Amino acid sequence: MNKMFVSMALALGLGAAYSLPAYSQAKPDVLVKQRQAAMTLQGKYFGPLNAMAQGKIPYDQSVVTRNAGYLDALARMPWDGFAASTKGEKSAALPAVFTDTGKFKEHQDRFQAEVTKLASVSKSGDEASVKQQITAVGKQCGGCHEDFREKR
Amino acid sequence: MKRELRWLHASLLAAVSCAFAAYAEAQGDAKRGSYLAKAAGCVGCHTEAKEGAPAFAGGRALKTPFGTFYGPNITPDPQAGIGKWSEADFLRAMRRGERPDGSNYFPAFPYTSFTRMTDQDLRDLWAYLRSLPGNNRANQPHALSFPYSMRSLVSVWKRMFFTPGPLPNDPQLSPAAARGRYLVVALAHCGECHTPRNALGGAKKDRFLAGGKGPDDKNVPNLTPTRLKKWSDNELKEFLTTGMYSDGDIPAEAMAEVIRNTTSQLTPEDLDAIIAYLRALPALPEEPRDNKK
Repeated sequence: MNKMFVSMALALGLGAAYSLPAYSQAKPDVLVKQRQAAMTLQGKYFGPLNAMAQGKIPYDQSVVTRNAGYLDALARMPWDGFAASTKGEKSAALPAVFTDTGKFKEHQDRFQAEVTKLASVSKSGDEASVKQQITAVGKQCGGCHEDFREKR
Repeated sequence: MKRELRWLHASLLAAVSCAFAAYAEAQGDAKRGSYLAKAAGCVGCHTEAKEGAPAFAGGRALKTPFGTFYGPNITPDPQAGIGKWSEADFLRAMRRGERPDGSNYFPAFPYTSFTRMTDQDLRDLWAYLRSLPGNNRANQPHALSFPYSMRSLVSVWKRMFFTPGPLPNDPQLSPAAARGRYLVVALAHCGECHTPRNALGGAKKDRFLAGGKGPDDKNVPNLTPTRLKKWSDNELKEFLTTGMYSDGDIPAEAMAEVIRNTTSQLTPEDLDAIIAYLRALPALPEEPRDNKK
């Protein structure tokens, strides 16, 4: 009885494992499209903050808090899109993304940490430290683009 | 009577401005020099890439296929910096790529560009460097691979790839584009990264600003109209002042730093001049890109 239960459970588990890829592993071209979408949206919500940090547009606390919150989620999204299966896809990702995965991961972690910090600092409402943190986030964007993205 | 007064006025003015010019030539204007230092981006290579590192005290690593160069201390500290230099030593370094003892600088120091600077600008820049606080941060020796580590070979390199002296006139260019050319070529030394190099590290002159591989072996964009024609003047200006593309995207940190240190610090007129010059460049095809790295 017990044996039967185990084998049934196993069969169910296997079935789930087999059916899972259909949901979780998107095709490489779809993954590229999705990670690019996440990057595009980061640009959309980071752009105005960067412009505020440089005094190009007036500082707007409500926009800062909202965008920083969006960014905190967006900053986590692109990375699983750089799956090994996407290596051959046409994109601006440099081969280093797939060959120097350790360094790439470090950049992701540093970036996420700075964005999370921005989200928390933005709630404080202290304009000077918010602006400083926006600049820090921008440097992380460019730092990773330096080695891992083809120049535009 | 009125006319006489006007003459007197004019000659007085002339005398004063002559005297001023002579004074400026003898002394150098540190305030002008501070602007020139920004336009030339000196702080980038001559400051360690570390939070709170003392400006101009050296330490930045420049990784190239020939090895790693470390920017030296250019503060007036007499031991660690260039405090014992004379103005003539400075002019010689910038113009001819020679150290005060007569040996050669490696061309990681972009004297290939700075040699085009005018005497007045060099003197003003010197005056500015003299006005900096001295810092005793010791220099780090370059870590170069053999045979590139042989300084004496630089004289051969110079004979092949280095033409000292100011920019020849180009009557084709508008005054704005001519100013832009001076800024791009002599001061901002854009070509040091944006012009592809041959196997010996000499700039490919017929590929000026056509992009390809930069000195650190990373791809750099083409700055000739082939690529820039897609950008409006306003987009270019925004990019060079905010360090951001119009969609909020951020360029690689190497350019972001140049924007922070140099292009965002320029007067609007100088920025317009740079754009006018880039627009006047011959459109060169993209350098073939090798993406194996």
